[in-house]
Amino acid sequence: MNVILQCPVEVSAVPALANQRPLVLVPFLGQTVLEHALAGLAAEGAKRVRIEGTEPVEEIRQVVGQGEAWGIKIVFSQDAPPAGEWSDARVVKLNALPQLPQQPLWGSYRDWYAAQLALLPVVAAQRVGMREVAPGVFVGHRTQVAGDATLIGPCWIGANVFIGPKATVGPGSIIEDGSYIDGGAEIVGSVVGPQTYVGAFTELRDSFAWGNRLLHLGTGSLTEVTDCFLLGPVQSESKLVDGLRSAVRFLGRQLPFKSSPPAPRPMPGTQSPS
Amino acid sequence: MKIQYRDKTLALSDISELNASNSGAMRDDARAALRTEITTIDVDLSQTRLVDSSGLGALIARNKTMSTRGGGVRIINPTPSVQQILELTRLHRVFEIVKTS
Repeated sequence: MNVILQCPVEVSAVPALANQRPLVLVPFLGQTVLEHALAGLAAEGAKRVRIEGTEPVEEIRQVVGQGEAWGIKIVFSQDAPPAGEWSDARVVKLNALPQLPQQPLWGSYRDWYAAQLALLPVVAAQRVGMREVAPGVFVGHRTQVAGDATLIGPCWIGANVFIGPKATVGPGSIIEDGSYIDGGAEIVGSVVGPQTYVGAFTELRDSFAWGNRLLHLGTGSLTEVTDCFLLGPVQSESKLVDGLRSAVRFLGRQLPFKSSPPAPRPMPGTQSPS
Repeated sequence: MKIQYRDKTLALSDISELNASNSGAMRDDARAALRTEITTIDVDLSQTRLVDSSGLGALIARNKTMSTRGGGVRIINPTPSVQQILELTRLHRVFEIVKTS
């Protein structure tokens, strides 16, 4: 089955979701909306999918590749005009996921959030390494949760997440991969995007936090938090270490004695030549 | 920043930003304007686009002073982004927030 997947570029009801990445690459339960849509189409028997209406193509291509992950062949409308083989293709508008045709995605920020909650148990059951540690509480691979943290279902905690002591997550919360929830923080009815630091004793309700951006799901108000100890992107330690190594290498090249061999040291019991 | 007196209340308004660059000045101005009969400070944040931890620190300091007089700081009509920062830091439970519109 051939499918033409028509992606919305920007939807006026949810502009804040599309201001950093293409709308279809917004985080959605450990992946992106587009990846979930492709999984749904593959499950319905799609073999070739032509993606239309979204840019930049290279950014999309980096995420979905050529469709190998779903056993389908992906073609982008920018690559070639539609040939005759697409004339009988099924046209699917990405206003809802194929798995949830009744649940709109982009009618409001709450729609996008509600779609995630609706699909949460299904995706959690399929995701490798994810386990249900309490009723409705799904925790991903290599995630650490402090012993005195409180997790209330339904909630999704992705892979490589840290939940600090006395933190509260849930109900209705989604913590994406690689995020760090510091001690005492409280997250209820909210989404924390990937690689996001949520500061100690902060409170997130009815919000979407990603990097230093904080979006209220109800009002649509978007603000940038300037204090990184409250909210911000997780700093990659490896990048820091790489940066330090590069700096040391650079300094080493500038110093003249780096290439000089060390002075010979006399062997024990021998005298140095004088 | 505009400073007005209303009975036992000191009203601060026309604040476009409350951050590291002007929180010290705001703190000094408010302290200088603080008459002995003042028990409440109304801070109008309806024009405020940006608040950071320095600005919040200034508000907390004034609130502490006012609480010793039996009053406090009231936040008047915070913009949605300021409201978000107050909720993120849980200060919406510390300050009285008044919405008149």
